[in-house]
Amino acid sequence: MGEIRNFRSGNQNEPPPHGAMPRRLAAIIVGDIASYSRLMQADEEGTHVRVKRIERDLIEPSIVEHHGSLVKTTGDGFIAIFDSPVEAVRCSIVIQQNLVGRNASLPKDSRIEYRIGVNLGDVIIEPDDVYGDGVNIATRIEGIAQPGQVFISGAIYEQIKHKVVCGYESLGDRKVKNITDPVRIYRVLPDADAVGGTRGRRENTLIFLLGLTLLVSAAGVLWYLLAQPPGKGSEQAATPTAAPVASPVPQPPAREAAVPTPQPSPSLASPAPPAPTPTPSQSPTPASEPDMIAIRGGSFAMGSNDDPTERPVHQVAIKPFSIGKYPVTVREWNECAAAKACGFTAMGKDDAPVTNVSWTDAQQYAGWLAQATKKSYRLPSEAEWEYAARGGTQTKYWWGDKLQPGMAGCKDCGDAAAEQPAKVGSFKPNPFGLYDMGGGVDQWVADCWHRTYQGAPNDGSAWSGGDCSSHVLRSGSWKNDSRYVRPSNRDGYDTNVRYPTHGFRVALSP
Amino acid sequence: MQILRCVALSAVLALLPGVAFSQGKAAPKDAKVYFITPYDGQKVRAGFLVRFGLRNMGVTHAGDDYQNAGHHHLLVDVSDPIDPKEPIPQDKSHLHFGAGQTETFLELPPGTHTLQLVLGDAKHYPFEPPVVSEKITVRVRPPPQRGK
Repeated sequence: MGEIRNFRSGNQNEPPPHGAMPRRLAAIIVGDIASYSRLMQADEEGTHVRVKRIERDLIEPSIVEHHGSLVKTTGDGFIAIFDSPVEAVRCSIVIQQNLVGRNASLPKDSRIEYRIGVNLGDVIIEPDDVYGDGVNIATRIEGIAQPGQVFISGAIYEQIKHKVVCGYESLGDRKVKNITDPVRIYRVLPDADAVGGTRGRRENTLIFLLGLTLLVSAAGVLWYLLAQPPGKGSEQAATPTAAPVASPVPQPPAREAAVPTPQPSPSLASPAPPAPTPTPSQSPTPASEPDMIAIRGGSFAMGSNDDPTERPVHQVAIKPFSIGKYPVTVREWNECAAAKACGFTAMGKDDAPVTNVSWTDAQQYAGWLAQATKKSYRLPSEAEWEYAARGGTQTKYWWGDKLQPGMAGCKDCGDAAAEQPAKVGSFKPNPFGLYDMGGGVDQWVADCWHRTYQGAPNDGSAWSGGDCSSHVLRSGSWKNDSRYVRPSNRDGYDTNVRYPTHGFRVALSP
Repeated sequence: MQILRCVALSAVLALLPGVAFSQGKAAPKDAKVYFITPYDGQKVRAGFLVRFGLRNMGVTHAGDDYQNAGHHHLLVDVSDPIDPKEPIPQDKSHLHFGAGQTETFLELPPGTHTLQLVLGDAKHYPFEPPVVSEKITVRVRPPPQRGK
């Protein structure tokens, strides 16, 4: 541990300040770049930038995704802790597999390969570091690992052997430096069939294909850009695409370049102004805001007796807010993706609702929109969503108690079931002027999932306590039947899982 | 605009191989999904624990595209056959366990219900051949009378 330089500390999981030495059991990942000195000698700045990019784009998000926390990054490595050994090993595999893809197109001697060691141990946690035998052993295990490999201790192996589908190759008991007892070590083979160190042929083909495609597309893009007449902002355009191939230049996130639009009075935000794009040749388009409808505050009876999850019916007061006239569209989503603030580029027609988003994805979009526009965009609370969906009615559906064609997009709502959700606004708006509040796409709201309304807040705020591994979905989708179209219908779904019928709309506090 | 077009173009190209392999991921022939509890015909209380067993394959998160691994779906009172060409539906009778859960606490109204497990791949499609459990029946007892 002594030789590791502490370049930067990033701790997301503050321990409680009281208590002299907060100890806990944790799975510790130690990662370290193989032949870091050689890489630095060959290209100091380039290597540094590449390492930082890997940390930012791959390591940090993977750790967060697997519910771990990054303790610190050092010049050539990182240390992270996890509550769960399973998550720690999965995270390590994800990092290594991603690096294989990243390295595929590079010559052997400029590849950045990590050694990763995982151990389970009792550690002392301080704001920007962890200490203990467990950490030292993890560091030693990492030291033994071959580049690109994950080595785990016997303690981790015992915890995960039946839970993570991998091959494990026992390397026996190893004596490690300055540790009295020998440590049992296993090599993780990400593919269970790969015992013996050979990667599956199919996997190889896939990686090769992917690499080839990426190469082809990169080349295509490069050619496309270079073939353009010089001038008109082509240097600007060339930087981001060329970066992964050529000597990388740190690029500022595109969203910082977004021009804040002149702020209209937020209370009457009804038809949002047309997207302020003056010249089509400008490359970073400022965020265009979704059409918003201002909703006056009020009070309503939330819930119904149609389903156990919707009970008890309870009175909720709602403060004034605005909500998206439509679900967020593919076009709107892809602006966020283009700004690299959203996880993926959505396929499909521009005016179709974006789908296959997890709650976390939706949250990222709202965060990006808020930052790009300097307005308090967010996901609506569950109470706000139902209030808006009811449009002042207390009937089973917003248009009455009977199903009627043309009102909503669902499996048996009276129109032919489509392969894809109809473009937004294909059905009649509700009394508040909102489209697709019921049917179309399922819509994430801010609240954590609770099985019933027992103990729910009555001030219209999002209900955040409890088990937040699931969040609430509203509206039902084009694949559900008419029961799901009811404004009171609710369901929960895993926070980090994407599903092809899930979308969302945004809300705005005045 | 150019940038957007480029991004879209490269995205399409990058996703092509993904599309080609997205449906009907192959499952090992001896893969087996089954109920650890309850057993077929068991009488249970209104709230009961359902535990999922899986042999010769592994459980992983939805979205993780590892070979021979998937995530559980619990079908409650579903009579429609599974469509191998469609993602497993998501509604109140098709419960998803995309975070890699291997058990759940299920609450059902009194009466007879059927339960069935289906393993889904990273994109919620059934495997090829489908990895599906026996459909079992449970009888949920009426709640105990609270009167004095």
